[in-house]
Amino acid sequence: MNLTALNLTGVGLGAAVVIGVCTALLGLVLPSRARPAAVGVGTALIGAAGVLAGAAALAGRSFTVALPGVLPLSGVEFALDALGGLFVAVTGAVAVAASVFAIGYARSHGLGARGVQVVFPLFVLAMLLVPAAASVGTLLVCWELMALTSLLLVLAEHRQRREVAAAGRWYAVMTHLGFLAILTGLLLFAAHATDDSFTALRQAAQQLPPGVGGAVFVATLIGFGSKAGVVPLHAWLPRAHPEAPSHVSALMSAAMVNLGVYGIIRVGFDLLGFSMLGAGARWWWLLVLGLGAVSAVYGILQAAMSTDLKRLLGYSTTENMGLVLVGLGAAGLFASLGQAALAGLALGAALLHVLNHAAFKSLLFLAAGSVLHATGTRDLDALGGLRTAMPVTTGLFGLGALGASALPPGTAFVSEWLLLQALIHGLPSAGGVTSTAAAIAMPLAVAAVALTAGLAVATFVKAFGVGFLAKPRSAAPEGARESPVAMLAGMGLAGLACVLLALLPTLVVPAVSEASGFVLGGGPALSGELTLRLVGVTGALSPLLLAVALLVAVVLAAGLTRVVTARRRVGVARRSARLWDCGGGPLSARMEYTATSFAEPLQRVFDDVVAPETDVDVDHHEESRYLVRAVEYRRRVPDRIERRLYQPVLGAVAGWGEVGRRLATGSVHRYLGYGFYTVCAAFMLLAVIR
Amino acid sequence: MNDGVYVQLLDLACGALLLTGVLVLWRRELAVIIRVFAAQGVALAALVAVLAAHENSPELWIVAVGLLILRAGVLPLLLARALAAAGPARRETRPLVNVASSLLAAAVLALLAYAVSRPLVALSPSPATQAIPVGITVVLIGFFVLVTRRRALSQLVGFLLMDNGITTVGFLTTSSVGLIVELGVSLDVLLAVLVLRILTARIQESFGDADLDELRELHD
Amino acid sequence: MSALGVVGGVLQPVLIVSFSPVLLGVMRQVRAHLEGRAGAGIAQPWRDLRKLFGKEAITPRGTTEVFRIAPLVLIGTTAVVAVVAPFVTTDSALGSVADLFAVVALLALGTVALALAGLDTATAFGGMGASREMTIIALVEPTLLVAIFALSVRVGSTNLADIVSSTLRDPARTISPVSLLAAVALVVVVVAETGRLPVDNPSTHLELTMVHEAMVLEYAGPDLALVELASAMRLTVFLGLLANLFLPWGIATELTPGALLVGVVALMVKVGLLGMVLAAGEVFMAKLRLFRVPELLAGSFLLALLAVAASFFLA
Repeated sequence: MNLTALNLTGVGLGAAVVIGVCTALLGLVLPSRARPAAVGVGTALIGAAGVLAGAAALAGRSFTVALPGVLPLSGVEFALDALGGLFVAVTGAVAVAASVFAIGYARSHGLGARGVQVVFPLFVLAMLLVPAAASVGTLLVCWELMALTSLLLVLAEHRQRREVAAAGRWYAVMTHLGFLAILTGLLLFAAHATDDSFTALRQAAQQLPPGVGGAVFVATLIGFGSKAGVVPLHAWLPRAHPEAPSHVSALMSAAMVNLGVYGIIRVGFDLLGFSMLGAGARWWWLLVLGLGAVSAVYGILQAAMSTDLKRLLGYSTTENMGLVLVGLGAAGLFASLGQAALAGLALGAALLHVLNHAAFKSLLFLAAGSVLHATGTRDLDALGGLRTAMPVTTGLFGLGALGASALPPGTAFVSEWLLLQALIHGLPSAGGVTSTAAAIAMPLAVAAVALTAGLAVATFVKAFGVGFLAKPRSAAPEGARESPVAMLAGMGLAGLACVLLALLPTLVVPAVSEASGFVLGGGPALSGELTLRLVGVTGALSPLLLAVALLVAVVLAAGLTRVVTARRRVGVARRSARLWDCGGGPLSARMEYTATSFAEPLQRVFDDVVAPETDVDVDHHEESRYLVRAVEYRRRVPDRIERRLYQPVLGAVAGWGEVGRRLATGSVHRYLGYGFYTVCAAFMLLAVIR
Repeated sequence: MNDGVYVQLLDLACGALLLTGVLVLWRRELAVIIRVFAAQGVALAALVAVLAAHENSPELWIVAVGLLILRAGVLPLLLARALAAAGPARRETRPLVNVASSLLAAAVLALLAYAVSRPLVALSPSPATQAIPVGITVVLIGFFVLVTRRRALSQLVGFLLMDNGITTVGFLTTSSVGLIVELGVSLDVLLAVLVLRILTARIQESFGDADLDELRELHD
Repeated sequence: MSALGVVGGVLQPVLIVSFSPVLLGVMRQVRAHLEGRAGAGIAQPWRDLRKLFGKEAITPRGTTEVFRIAPLVLIGTTAVVAVVAPFVTTDSALGSVADLFAVVALLALGTVALALAGLDTATAFGGMGASREMTIIALVEPTLLVAIFALSVRVGSTNLADIVSSTLRDPARTISPVSLLAAVALVVVVVAETGRLPVDNPSTHLELTMVHEAMVLEYAGPDLALVELASAMRLTVFLGLLANLFLPWGIATELTPGALLVGVVALMVKVGLLGMVLAAGEVFMAKLRLFRVPELLAGSFLLALLAVAASFFLA
């Protein structure tokens, strides 16, 4: 075992591992009353240690340790540098908020069972170790550990609901197919290197034949992209995220999908780095850009049509990861064209969006968990009127929704602004390197980002307005009460992060610049204290100033209105009046616009892409077919890609299965014989070849 | 110990391994097969002990003792108990391939094993590595027994034979297979035997016969 | 933040607040003239506002503070844009907020506040207005951002002051294909965002044809006055942006009373002319069905995309 000097980074990582194992053991032995609190606090400490380690790594103190004995044949190697540090810090921060939330949530939702409580800290620990891995073997082991623990957590509520088992199956299959893809890519890469550590891979990249480099990139893109929820391998996301417990959904959506992005950056920019320069690698990044744009548009479109709150948030994750991939693709494209400043800007925008997304997505999922806890339903068509009963949850969800819709002064506005700046400056005006690919890709990317921005606004207005405002649309939200303090505290932490990132993004800009500088080389692309400034191109934005100006304007408007209406308003409170009902009597809550009706104009516009299915069931009276007793109308928006892509593949596999049945005659001896003949044939082949 | 004695003892142990393997193929009485298997366990432990004495490695001595206990003691005991509970059938009456052909097949398999392991031996020629073909032969014979015998117990013995062969090859190629790996494999084997025993007993209860070919009737 | 910017930051909101109801009055008067009516006079919108401010403040039953705050947010965002964007002076009071994206996003924030207020009323009309308005916003965003792309590519920056100064320095750019295509696309965008014909009829009284009016159906008294004022300000701001992005002559570039006066007059003239043209056009157009509006917006998107293509190929 050899390591660099034990610095803050190493202490943080080590503490995380130790606390993780201890918390898991605590979860095993403690009685069920003390379990949720102890495990919640322990996991929050793991998260805090992660944040410490990540921040120290970003400050320049990297840490390496190699333990050859732990795994046979290859040993494990950990090295936390600036890029890994950023992702470790983000994961840790989300884990803190989610574990504090879980203290209250687990107790009241029947999630205090031993299995869930033991696996939860291990899940967080595995997620913290993936960005620190410095060899192929270590990365794959930690990746698989993360996948297994998250699978167990997704299945936590399988006794209460039947859909959980189906969701777990989809998740298990897709995550392991992704694992196979990553395994193939990385092993192909390592086969051309002296051993499987990342330093050896970096050196081998210089002599890699271009075909091999492309194959490695595509294989790892498939695997890591599937984990990030990129179309067309996203089908597990909208199934697994709603069925998992809410704090687990928050962790998966705000921390685990980031690791897919981490993988793409690590393999594409860092390990394959030298192959990147030159026209040969340009198509990789165009592919990433294209996939990102398609995911963003498709994801937000499905979210706009969705009436299940958590499914909406899951599809929104696909959209945001698509935007991050657009930034990555643009960064790679610029780097291969030699425009270093723009590449740094695009990568910085992508990394900042990862941070912002982690903040607002965790807040939104935790708030959705609070709603689920209070009302027992996730269906937006049945919710509503939660403002009076649950003011804190409503306010925090509103904050998250503002962040998610990329409007100022929300959280995602700054990173979308940066992304658009990178794309806009990427189109060369007079002078500069021209490239047809960039000239076609940039405007289309801007159009895709713009479409997602507009649709995101509509989606989150729907989610917030229909779900929380107005009157309750069914019996479920009528009995709602505010959630316990632990859950509110967890949401509050995430909300605080949203506010800080929205108003003072310059706090994290040095960290983001450090990470992007580590990956691409070159100086920082962003700078500034209160105003965010771009380096190398013209551009500046001050979100704090914008928010302050807005606040001042609103307060001034309110004050002036009071002054102007002072004469009439002497001592009289606002009178309450009836709503306009065209004189036909008071409107019932059933007449409100539901989420389905809100999204209906959009669904009509995008009918070809969305292709909803409607079922109309008309029940007639026995006496006459002209008298209708009841009409049942059902409308479903299926996932089109699932229909068109997955079902034919699954059908083909089932067909081959039927054909393969003929091999299964029922004789055990024949089955064993198959194995024996194959082994003998393999030996004979080996003997002949050698 | 000096080299001459070492080579002799090594070859003796390997020969015993091979002989016991062939005997399993030759004899039909289940009780005899189990005893032969126990003898092979002793031979395997002896092989590892010889290696331990040659390398002066306490770790290998511990492994040798462990192998003796497990493969010459525990496993044959479990198999004997299964045999006692198995019912009146005591012999392998109609193997898929008759005994004479089985012995011929064993010879062919030995040749195949020798052909395959030539490059392995050429990598680092030494008395230990030259015995690798024996280990691979035992593996192939074990597989052959597994495929062609009708009684579940014989098939179990075949499976255990394969494992013995693999362990042999492992210890002959590198002296430090790693305690962890050996421990893991041993646990696997133990578990497999236990599970198969329970399964056989259940099949016996439900269908009155442990002949797996009769179970073809269940085919859908 | 220069002195010119500060002066502009004080002058512009005052000008726009006082001028926008007048603009509305002028537009209505032009319509009346063309339709052969006498019209109510240019000052009628100000009289309406005065009447509304003098009325009693009302809160519909069951609404929350979202409903009460929305008019304030609407007018606040429009006021910030009025302060920041280059209408009278090129320099801005808050230079780091004078970004074209930020301005567009602020205006969208105002619409979102109103949509949430519409949903908050728990009536079918409020929800209908909110749903339609959000659909239109979602489809207008791509055109808007791609048109901004086309405008800022040549300049190398999305800062409004930079774009205006660069057009001042290079007047020939105004008649380039890029500018013309982007201008036409932006006209459609302005019509859609401000809720004018053919996208929405601001003077309809039939609830099922309303988009913007349906969201504000429950507002009365001072709240309604704020909403009306804010709508008028939004129209002025959009037309002012349209004018100064493409025809910035007259804008004050130095801090002298003469230049400022010229800037104010130029703004009023340009916006007034644009408003009159818009009003005249409305007389000859009928409102489009809601489900035909996406076709119109798709056409404007195509024009914006062609503008970008032109900016590359004719570089």
